[in-house]
Amino acid sequence: MRAALPIFLALTLHSFAAPSHWAYTAPKRPALPKTDSDWPRNPIDYFILAKQKENQLAPSPTASPSQLLRRVHLDLTGLPPTPDVVAQFLENPSDTAYEKIVDDLLYSKHYGERWARPWLDLARYADSNGFQADQLRDSWAYRDWVIDAFNSGMPFNQFVIEQIAGDLLPNATPSQRIATGFHRTPTCNVEAGVHPEENRVNQVFDRVNTTGTVFLGTTLECAQCHDHKYDPFSIKDYYSLFAFFNNTPLEVKQTGTSVTFEFYGPTMDLPISTEQQRAIDTLNAQKKQLDQQLAKLKADSAAQQANWEKATLTALQNAPEWSVLGIKQFSASGNPKHELQPDGSVVVTGPNPDKSTYTLRTDTTLPQITAIRLEALTHPSMHKGGPGRNKSPKENPNFIVNEFELKVDGQKIAFASVTASFSQTRWHVNGSIDGNLATGWAINPEFGEPATAIYKLTKPLAFKPGESLEFSIIQTYGGGRTIGRPRLSAMNGDPGAINLPDNIAAILKKTKRSRQESKQLTEYFQKENPQLKATETELAATNKKIAAIKPPTTLVMVEEDKPRETFIMQRGEYLNPGAKVTATTPEILHGMSADLPRNRLGFAKWLVAPQNPLLSRVTVNRWWAEIMGRGIVSTEEDFGTQSEPPTHPALLDWLSVEFIERGWSMRRIHKLIVMSATYRQSSRVTPAAQAADAPNKWHARAPRLRMSAEMVRDNALTISGLISTKMHGPPVYPPQPGGIWRHVGRNAPKYVAATDEDRFRRGVYVVWRRGAPYVSFTNFDAPDRGACVVRRPRTNTPLQALTLLNDEAYVEMAMAFAHRITEINGATVDSRIQFAYRSALSREARAAEINYLKPLLTQRLAYFQKNPKAATDLVNNVKGWKAPQGADPAELAAWFYLANILLNLDETITKS
Amino acid sequence: MNAAQHFYARESRREFLKSSGLGIGGLGLGSVLNQNLFADNAATRRPHFRPRAKHVIYLHMVGAPSQLDLFSHKPELTKRNGEKCPDHMFKGKRLAFIRQHPLLLGSRFKFNRHGQGGLALCEHLPQLGTVADELCLVQSIRTEHFNHAPAQLFMHTGFGRFGRPGIGSWINYGLGSENSDLPGYVVMITGSVAGAGNSLWGSGFLPTVHQGIEFRSNGDPVLFLANPKGIDRDDRREIIDGINFLNRQSFDAVGDPEINTRIVQYEMAFRMQASVPELMDTSTESADTHTMYGTQPGKPSFANNCLLARRLVERGVRFVQLFDQGWDHHSGVFNSIPRKAKQIDQPVAALIKDLKQRGLLDETLIILGAEFGRTPMLQGNSNNGAAGNVGRDHHKEGFSMMLAGGGVKGGITYGDTDELGYQAVDHPVHLHDMNATILHLLGIDHEKLTYKYQGRDFRLTDVHGHVQDGIIA
Repeated sequence: MRAALPIFLALTLHSFAAPSHWAYTAPKRPALPKTDSDWPRNPIDYFILAKQKENQLAPSPTASPSQLLRRVHLDLTGLPPTPDVVAQFLENPSDTAYEKIVDDLLYSKHYGERWARPWLDLARYADSNGFQADQLRDSWAYRDWVIDAFNSGMPFNQFVIEQIAGDLLPNATPSQRIATGFHRTPTCNVEAGVHPEENRVNQVFDRVNTTGTVFLGTTLECAQCHDHKYDPFSIKDYYSLFAFFNNTPLEVKQTGTSVTFEFYGPTMDLPISTEQQRAIDTLNAQKKQLDQQLAKLKADSAAQQANWEKATLTALQNAPEWSVLGIKQFSASGNPKHELQPDGSVVVTGPNPDKSTYTLRTDTTLPQITAIRLEALTHPSMHKGGPGRNKSPKENPNFIVNEFELKVDGQKIAFASVTASFSQTRWHVNGSIDGNLATGWAINPEFGEPATAIYKLTKPLAFKPGESLEFSIIQTYGGGRTIGRPRLSAMNGDPGAINLPDNIAAILKKTKRSRQESKQLTEYFQKENPQLKATETELAATNKKIAAIKPPTTLVMVEEDKPRETFIMQRGEYLNPGAKVTATTPEILHGMSADLPRNRLGFAKWLVAPQNPLLSRVTVNRWWAEIMGRGIVSTEEDFGTQSEPPTHPALLDWLSVEFIERGWSMRRIHKLIVMSATYRQSSRVTPAAQAADAPNKWHARAPRLRMSAEMVRDNALTISGLISTKMHGPPVYPPQPGGIWRHVGRNAPKYVAATDEDRFRRGVYVVWRRGAPYVSFTNFDAPDRGACVVRRPRTNTPLQALTLLNDEAYVEMAMAFAHRITEINGATVDSRIQFAYRSALSREARAAEINYLKPLLTQRLAYFQKNPKAATDLVNNVKGWKAPQGADPAELAAWFYLANILLNLDETITKS
Repeated sequence: MNAAQHFYARESRREFLKSSGLGIGGLGLGSVLNQNLFADNAATRRPHFRPRAKHVIYLHMVGAPSQLDLFSHKPELTKRNGEKCPDHMFKGKRLAFIRQHPLLLGSRFKFNRHGQGGLALCEHLPQLGTVADELCLVQSIRTEHFNHAPAQLFMHTGFGRFGRPGIGSWINYGLGSENSDLPGYVVMITGSVAGAGNSLWGSGFLPTVHQGIEFRSNGDPVLFLANPKGIDRDDRREIIDGINFLNRQSFDAVGDPEINTRIVQYEMAFRMQASVPELMDTSTESADTHTMYGTQPGKPSFANNCLLARRLVERGVRFVQLFDQGWDHHSGVFNSIPRKAKQIDQPVAALIKDLKQRGLLDETLIILGAEFGRTPMLQGNSNNGAAGNVGRDHHKEGFSMMLAGGGVKGGITYGDTDELGYQAVDHPVHLHDMNATILHLLGIDHEKLTYKYQGRDFRLTDVHGHVQDGIIA
């Protein structure tokens, strides 16, 4: 149901008169409210206290040191304090000690990881395209850029400029280009039959809408089809903004003429990783060695060659020779045409039958035959010269000889063995004499050259002159895989005696050789040298390996050389263009300085202009909400006329101005918040306080907030001691149940759980596949990142209980936690429980808790000691986890109970 | 203040009340502790007006079957089979796969008339023929997208891109759940997942408690349902007792009502560990029932999912969605349709009969449909002789959906495409109209079921949708 349009608004809407809505006027620093109270610690508290007073509320007492310590660790780094840090702080919980901790946390490398998470929700960062097949894409360098930007304290205005237009900055650095990954995150549909331009337009819509939401707290989307109903943005405003983003290339490409499409669009090579560089160095060293070895072998070869030539020539003069068997008669099933050739071969032409058996009749003058040679010669009638007639695929003119037979007087003559110049993998020439039509001889990929097979007879075949031989070349594979120009020869003698190609034999016999012929001879000799051959193969393999090491890539924005024209899309339809527009910022907002270029860079600079009434407000409000549980404007994603009015408008403006004037420093604002008395209050809520302010609008207590999905994981990993603090790099695959990644289609990736430290890395590094995000995250309200998300819901469901109880990742963590507890030598049950509490909750266990847990443990331990099989059943079945040597299964199993309980507590997964 | 009341006080309800006025928003404010699994409120919400249906079973044939070979009999198309299609069906049109002026492709199947209404159904749907008088065939559906994933998103969320809630989430948000041990929105899948993935049953910007929960046929029916090896039900009880005891201590110390909600959720998780396997175990069904559906206990199939859908509805689950993959017949349409039709014909007919004999058909709306339809034009080479080569392309201008039960007229066809089966001409029903009608049958005014997000009141039907009175009984 739509609220009636307020009349004053209706009047201002399309006339674009002076802005009347508070959010469209730039903030000014307000004076601090006056108070006699000594409660305030910094300016924030004056504003909070004043509003509490107005609402008849008063601040809560300060939180206990342990609660505060845990809270600030989680807020700033997303990780709980270690038991040591807890112990140290509890010894001296002074203000100075607290401030020191705050500073350490703000400069911890985990600060960037923790704050990247909400930003990546806004940036709809994911590792896959979304839609059909949902293939993976590499864009993780952008995720790392965000982490590093926060860790390096990059001013927020620069943070914005680089993400929107880093590529357009003069002499853009690789890092500035990587930053533009912010707008290369939109989903991309590459399913067959997609229309690339439609896909591109959808992506630009996404960029414009996300830009509006993230940097202006404005829902521009409404103006995509018509003038905005409530906020002063017209359809013309919308497409004028669209024009800034409209100069990027298509990101979906048709492959060939098919309806298959590929994900495409500008990427950038990243520096080679250190591991890759190490691999390249090793390979280069290998290559150098091989080069030297090869040079030496070639030098030695020259001397050997002279000897070889002499010996071979002598042998050759006494060697038997092939004599070509002239074909007298040729027939073929399927009736192709044929032409007998003067060289004794036959060229098969005309329509190529699917399958064909050639019958060739020859005679011979040899008195005795010991071997037969079948040649498949090349001919211009075939593609690439053949030697096969196979037409499809055209690039592969192959043949398959399923059987080769010789008959004399109707009597089949047996072959003893066969060798070939080349046999295709799985189509060895042996298959042509095994009596099995399913096998045969083929030669892919050795096209364009003659192929030869030599068949040795089991015993010499004697015959009278003029007696004829009948050969069958059976080719039943189909697809026209037949020989295009067969020739047959016979020999009396041992064909293996001197296995020389005819041309080489001819060169050898010459007394005078041309330079070309000498070269051919040397090449042949070297090619036959097994050592040389092996070294060359190894060298080729090494070169291939070096070439295969490709730098990782990341998606970046690139501006087309020729700008596109932009038209208003009527009703939001890209095939329905209206009036032409130029790149302009919305009229209602601050003007765009004339000296700014009308491109993304100019637009980015306009966004961060201090006159922008929205950017600083929207940004500090989101941080406030992330830490304090609710925005000063509770509709964090919308500051328009339909938004909730701010609860503390003066505080919002004060923080916004402070933010801009203090160099857009995020750390500065975060420190202000966590140092405030407001932040340091206890989160305890009385029924009266709950009744007075259930949503905690007035911050008369600290919020209790269930952690985000990633924080739930990071927290449990830290408690269990499993966490890996390795940063950066490609996404990681922690364990998840099978059958979650079910997309099918081209390049559909597989989920293989990591077995190394990647298994235990922080949630921010976990692979984000849009069609099937990490399940335990989904159960804790993580979005699919298909679109920009400003506020995650915070629900409380039985699926969350099941996840923490039974997800193999959490079972493994519980077991590791149990082991960590039992590792304390000589400790009492009490002190172990205390250690567990300090780890999980950063506090000591209370008497009631110990009194409950101790008997449970003792009883469980006794049970497992009596039933060792029950203990090993539990301990040995934890996936991915191996009980360390010497660990007592009964102890582990008993403490697993406690670990499982502690990791499931409301307090454990709550920031309070 | 108890946990439920506290929960009400949170954003979702506040916004809900504000945005939806008093209709659905008349929440059970006085109700006790939140006993409702997956729900963010205790009581079933009140609809806007008298509902005709309380439950929905939505059968999505993923890939989009040919309406022309199942539901929509076009003798003229058959007569003109092999002719070049008229220009208006190709020129200036955007098609997913067809690039050259295509030929018309008539169905090669016989259509038989069934029931008192004389409903024409393809010869490969004989069992559905026996319940023809329950069926409402809408022959004039239109949509906006002709690529699978966007079209699937559009069908369920009313928007061709990511980020919005699907109809099952909307309905659960609007009406709440009736069962305290099961989710209000259950999804089951045969074959691979649909192109748009889990987002099809995600809750978009609605609170995530309204998302569909997948019941899987392999492994845990609900993810993480089973205890790890070495932990049995008594052990789990002991652990949950420990968790809840300590959580109560924590509540005493800090007073946050959210802690009580968590205690309740752990109890529900424990109950689910029993109730879900019980639900999935169809061995308690009679032999007759299994014969009727063509199922065997423990054997996953679309038919088995139909039987489970009945069991879910029986237990008060609001929205059950079955996805069945394998209907994208770009080639071999005349080979594939008989095979696929056989997989659904008997179980869907059985589901209708079964619900009827249990008195549940009146309150359960069954919908069978797909993200779009298929072209009356041939895709593939012009070799009409070989069935293996003949296919149909994606089609958004006119296709069919089948409805039954839950307040729709039985034994009728509604709307139609032109004589060649191309364009919806008689009573065109846009998917927005269909979604509006589905909500209407559940007692929800599609213009009033809104959720405020980004300063805007979002609706399933955006600014569109007309309830189709002609199909309502």
